Amino acid sequence: MFLTLDHITKKFPGRGQEGIVSAVEDLSLEIGKGEFFTFLGPSGCGKTTTLRLIAGFEFPTSGHIALAERQLEQVPPNKRDMAMVFQSYAIFPHLKVFENIAYGLRIKKLSNDEIRRRVSQIMALTKLTGLENRMPNQMSGGQQQRVSLARALVVEPKVLLFDEPLSNLDAKLREEMRFEIRDLQRRLNITSIYVTHDQEEALALSDRIAIMNKGKLAQLGTPEEIYERPRSKFVADFIGLANFLPAQVQTIQDGRATVQVGAHTLQVTALPNDTAGHASLVFVRPGDIKLVDDRTQANILEGQIIKATYLGEKFDYRVRVGDLELRVQASEGKRHAAGERVHLYLPPEHARLIGEE
Amino acid sequence: MDVSFPLSSAASSSNAALARRVREFRLIARDPALLVGLLAVGVFIFAFIVFPLARVIVQGFFTPEGQFSLNYFARYLEPGYAQVYWQILAWTVEMGVLAALGSTALGFLFAYTVVRCEIPFKGLVHALALLPTISPPFAIALAAILLFGRAGLVTRDLLHIRFGPGVNDVYGLDGIIFCQIITFFSIAYLILRGMLERIDPSMEEAALSLGASKWHIFRTVTLPLLTPGIAASFLLMFVESLADLGNPILIGGNITVLSTQIWIAVNGEHDQQKGAALALVLLLPTLTVFILQRYWVSRRSYIAVTGKPTSGAATFVKEPIVRWTFIALTILVLLLILSLYLTIFAGSITKLWGIDYTLDLTHFTGVFKRGLEAILDTTFLAALATPLAGIAGVLIAFLVVRKTFSGKEAVDFMSNLGGAVPGTILGIGYIIAFIRPPMFVVVIVFAALAYFLVGAATKQTSWRLIVLVAGSLSGIVLAWLAYDDKARAASAFSFLTGGLNWLPTLAEMQWLLYGAGIFMALALASLLCVEAQAKRRVFVLLALMAVYLLGRQWILLLTDPLALWGRRLGGDYLPGLVTSVASWITLLFQPPLALVGFTYTVLGAFVVAVWSARTRLLAALILLAGSGALTFYGQPLALVGTAYIVLMAYAVRSLPATVRASIASLQQIDPAIEEASTSLGGDAQHTFRRVTLPLILPAFIAGLIFSFARHMTSLSAIIFLSTPKWPILTALILSEVEQGGLSLAAAYSVVLIVIVLAAIGLLYLWAGRAFRASADITLGAG
Repeated sequence: MFLTLDHITKKFPGRGQEGIVSAVEDLSLEIGKGEFFTFLGPSGCGKTTTLRLIAGFEFPTSGHIALAERQLEQVPPNKRDMAMVFQSYAIFPHLKVFENIAYGLRIKKLSNDEIRRRVSQIMALTKLTGLENRMPNQMSGGQQQRVSLARALVVEPKVLLFDEPLSNLDAKLREEMRFEIRDLQRRLNITSIYVTHDQEEALALSDRIAIMNKGKLAQLGTPEEIYERPRSKFVADFIGLANFLPAQVQTIQDGRATVQVGAHTLQVTALPNDTAGHASLVFVRPGDIKLVDDRTQANILEGQIIKATYLGEKFDYRVRVGDLELRVQASEGKRHAAGERVHLYLPPEHARLIGEE
Repeated sequence: MDVSFPLSSAASSSNAALARRVREFRLIARDPALLVGLLAVGVFIFAFIVFPLARVIVQGFFTPEGQFSLNYFARYLEPGYAQVYWQILAWTVEMGVLAALGSTALGFLFAYTVVRCEIPFKGLVHALALLPTISPPFAIALAAILLFGRAGLVTRDLLHIRFGPGVNDVYGLDGIIFCQIITFFSIAYLILRGMLERIDPSMEEAALSLGASKWHIFRTVTLPLLTPGIAASFLLMFVESLADLGNPILIGGNITVLSTQIWIAVNGEHDQQKGAALALVLLLPTLTVFILQRYWVSRRSYIAVTGKPTSGAATFVKEPIVRWTFIALTILVLLLILSLYLTIFAGSITKLWGIDYTLDLTHFTGVFKRGLEAILDTTFLAALATPLAGIAGVLIAFLVVRKTFSGKEAVDFMSNLGGAVPGTILGIGYIIAFIRPPMFVVVIVFAALAYFLVGAATKQTSWRLIVLVAGSLSGIVLAWLAYDDKARAASAFSFLTGGLNWLPTLAEMQWLLYGAGIFMALALASLLCVEAQAKRRVFVLLALMAVYLLGRQWILLLTDPLALWGRRLGGDYLPGLVTSVASWITLLFQPPLALVGFTYTVLGAFVVAVWSARTRLLAALILLAGSGALTFYGQPLALVGTAYIVLMAYAVRSLPATVRASIASLQQIDPAIEEASTSLGGDAQHTFRRVTLPLILPAFIAGLIFSFARHMTSLSAIIFLSTPKWPILTALILSEVEQGGLSLAAAYSVVLIVIVLAAIGLLYLWAGRAFRASADITLGAG
C-alpha cells in the first residue's frame, strides 16, 4: 500500500483535571496510490489530528506511519513530499498570487523559466490566469481557495492533504469547488487525503471514506457502503437522516430477521454477522418509509402525524407511532395534515437491523 | 544547513513526563537553527538576567569576606538606624502610591479624551503624550528645577517668592511625585487607551437600549471593563516610581528614598552588601507587583481576550460639558508638558538661568567639545544593543508562541524580569556578578554548549562524555599556557592542573597565534575530511574563525594609528570623532574571549556534523579544546569596565519591549500560514525568514525604535556601569546637574532627545518605504 497508518495513537495533555486525552486511538489504515480518501466525522473526532500526524505537524504517541515503504518518524514535515490545503487557506498575505504559487518551487531551487512555466500551467488549470499580480487580500474567498489549491498542486506532491478546505465558502461555491477538486485530482492522479465534517462533500468526492468517532475508526468503506450499509447507529445517524426503532429480535435467518417493535412484528434485513444479542435497533431512512392506504400489507406501522412541514420538493412529517416518533419524507402522493392518522410501510429491504455501537 | 542533531538517543518509556520532555526537545533539535536559537536565548537569559539577580539576592546576606550576616536587614530593628530606615521606607511607599495614583488618573484622562471625546489633532496629542517615554528620565525634574526651583523662572521671577529656611520649595517628596507623574503617565495612557479601544461599542449600546443612562453605563459597564487596565496601570506605575533613580536624585532634596539609598550605598559608601541588601528590600515589592500583574490582573481581563481593536465606529461622548471638560483638562496638561520641555530647550541656550537670561549658544559648544565622546559612544552602544535586543526578543517570542517545550513559561517570565526589576538592582547585580570571572556561569554555559557539540559528533553517550571531558580538559590546559605563575595559583582550575606548572607562559599574541593555528590546521584538514558538498563552506568558516582570532591583535595595527592620527587633527570635533570610531572598531574585533569561545563551540557543532565519520571524534575533540581554551582564557566574563557590560545591560532592559511587541504580532498570524510554508518544503529557518519575519516586521521595527529610545535614556542600571573609557550620556548629565551646571545639563538633554527623535524619524522613513506597498496587509488567515 502507498500510505500506511499502523496502530497510531495520539495523546494530548488535557486541560485542568482531564489528565491525558486521546485524540486518536489505535488507528490502522491503508491508502492506495491515486486514491481519494476522506476522513469524516464530527468535530473533535480526531480527523484533523490524523491529517496533521500524516503531514508531520504532530507526532504520534505510538504507532508508525509509512509512505511508499518509507518510515516517516524521522522525516520532518518539510521533507515528506506532501502538500496541504488549509481550512483558512493560509495564503501568504505579503506575497502576490504568482509568488504564493511559486513558493514551493523556489524552495526546490528550480530555474526561473521552469517556475514560470509550471506556475502558469497550474494557474490555467485552476482558472486563475490573469490574477498573477493580485495581492491575496484583493481576492474573493473562492479565488483564495484556488490559489491555495494551486500552490499545493504545483509542487507535484506524493500526497495532497486537505483540511476542511471548503468550510469557509458559501454553499453554492462549495459545491462548485467540490467538482473542481475531484476533477483535478482525477486528472493529475494525486493521492489525496481529505478531512471534512460535511457528509455530502465526503460522499461526492471520495473513493473511500473513514468515519471517525471519538478518536476511533467507526467504519471504513466506499460512499455507497457507508450510506447504504452503516454498521452502527453512530454511522447511520451521522450520514444522512435516520429513524431508529428499538426492537426485540425474534429470529435471524439468511439475511432476514423478524423483530418485534412495540405491538408490531416486522420483517427487516440483517447483515450476516448480526446476532440476536448484538443488534437491538431497526434503522430506516425517512425517505424510504412510504405512506400507504393499504393496511393489510405486512410491515405496516400505524401512527398519527404530529407535524407536517413543506420543504419544496418534498414533505417532511413527524409521525407518532405508539411512544416513538418517526420522521418520514415523501416527495409524491397526497399531502397529509397534522392530526391525520396514517399507515407507514417499512420496505424490508430498506429497514435494517443495526447495533447500538 | 541541512543537518540534524539527535540530542537524546532514546526516550525512556518508563517515565512518561520525562519522555515527553525529551520528545519536545528533540522536536526542536530536529531543526538546528531553532536549537541554536534556543541555546543562545537560554545562555543570554541565564548569564545576564538570572545569574546577576541571584547574585544580588545572595550578596545581601554575605559580607565581602564571605561571612553570613543579616547586618543590614537588622538595621530595620536597631534603635540607632531603625528610625531613618523606616522613614526612608515610608517615603518610598508614599511616593510610589501617590505617583501611581496621579499618573494613572492622568493616563485615564488622556486615554478617555483621545478615544471618546473626539479631541482635535488627535495624532499630535498622542505624540506629545508619548514625549516623556523618549526623553531622559530626569528631564522633567530638570525642567521643574528651572521653572519652579529656588532660582526658577516662575517661582522667583514671576511670583517673586524668596526661599528661606522653612519655605516649601520644589525639592522634596512633592517635587519627586510631580515629576514622576509627568514622566510615567505615558505608559498608563497607552495601557488604558488600548483597553478603551478594545471595548466593543455594542456593549455600551446594548446597555443604552436597555434604558440605562450614560452615567449609569459608565459606572456599570465601562468602568468594570476597564478595572483590570486601571489596576495594571496602577501597579506598573507603582513599580516604575519605586525604581526611578533620576528624579529622586535631582529633586529629592533632603528626602531619600530606597533607590537613592541604594545608589549612595554603592557609589558613595562603596558597600556592596548594603546595596544588595537594600536592593532585596526594593526587589520584594516590585517582584510581588510583577507577579501579581502577570498572573492575576491579566487573567481578570475581559477585554484582552478578544484581541483586535474593534474597527466599527466607537461611541463618543455626546454631552458637550463632559466632552469639553475632558478636552480642556487634557490641553492644560499638554501645555504644562510642552512648557517643561521648552524650558529645557530655553535653559540650554540661556547664559546663566535665574540671573542672566541672555541668549548664549556656548553651552552647546561645550557639550560637543567635552561631551562629544559620551554622545558618540552612547549612541553607538545604544544602536549596537538595539538589534541584539531585537533578535533576542523575536526569537523568544517565536519560541514562546509557536513551540512547546518545558521551561517555556520560565523563558517568558525571565525575559521580562530583566526589564521589570528596578535598574539599580540589575546594575548592582552586574557589578557583583561580573567584577570577577563568574566561573559558575562560564562552566555551566560551556558545558551545555560543549554537549551540543559532541552531540553532533556522535550518538553514543559514552563517547560523548569521553570527548566532552577530554576536550574540555585540553582546553583548560591550553588556557593554562597563557597564565603567569600568579594567575595559575589563583586560577579556579589550579587543583586540576597542579602538575602542569612546568608549562611555559605564552604572551597573548603568541598564544593567539597558536590558537589561530589550531583552527587554520582544522580548516586545511577539512579539505580532506568533509563531505564534498559542504567542503567549501566548512573551510571558509574555519579559516574565518582563525582570522577573526588574529584580528583581535591585528586590528590594533589599524586603529592605533587611526586614533593617533585623529588626535593630531585640527578642529574641535574631528579628534574626538576619529578616536571614537577607532575604539568602536576595536570593540567589534575584541569581544570578550569567553563569548568568542561560546560562539566557536556552537559553530563547531555545525562543522563536526558534516565531518567524515572516521575522523569526526578527533575533529570534535580538537574543536572543543580550541573553543575551551578561548572560553577559559584569562579572566572569562569579567566584564565590569568594558563596553560589553553596558551593551548587555541595554539589551536586557529593553528585551521585554521587543518580546511583547513580537509576541503580540505573532499571535495575530494564523499558524497555518507557517505550516503551509513547511508543508511546501521550507525548513524552520526558511519559513521564519520568508514568511514570519516579513509579517511581523512592522511590529518588530516599532520594537526596535522603542528599544533604542530606552537604551539612550536609561540611567538607573547604567549609572553603575559607566566608566571613563565608555562615558554614558545620562550618567554624565546627572553629574553635570550635581555640579550645578544646569544649562549644560539642559543642553546635553536637548542633544539626547534630538538623537532619539532623529533615530525614530529615520527608522520610520525606512520602514515607510519598505512597507508602503504592503501597508494594508491583513495579518489574518489570508
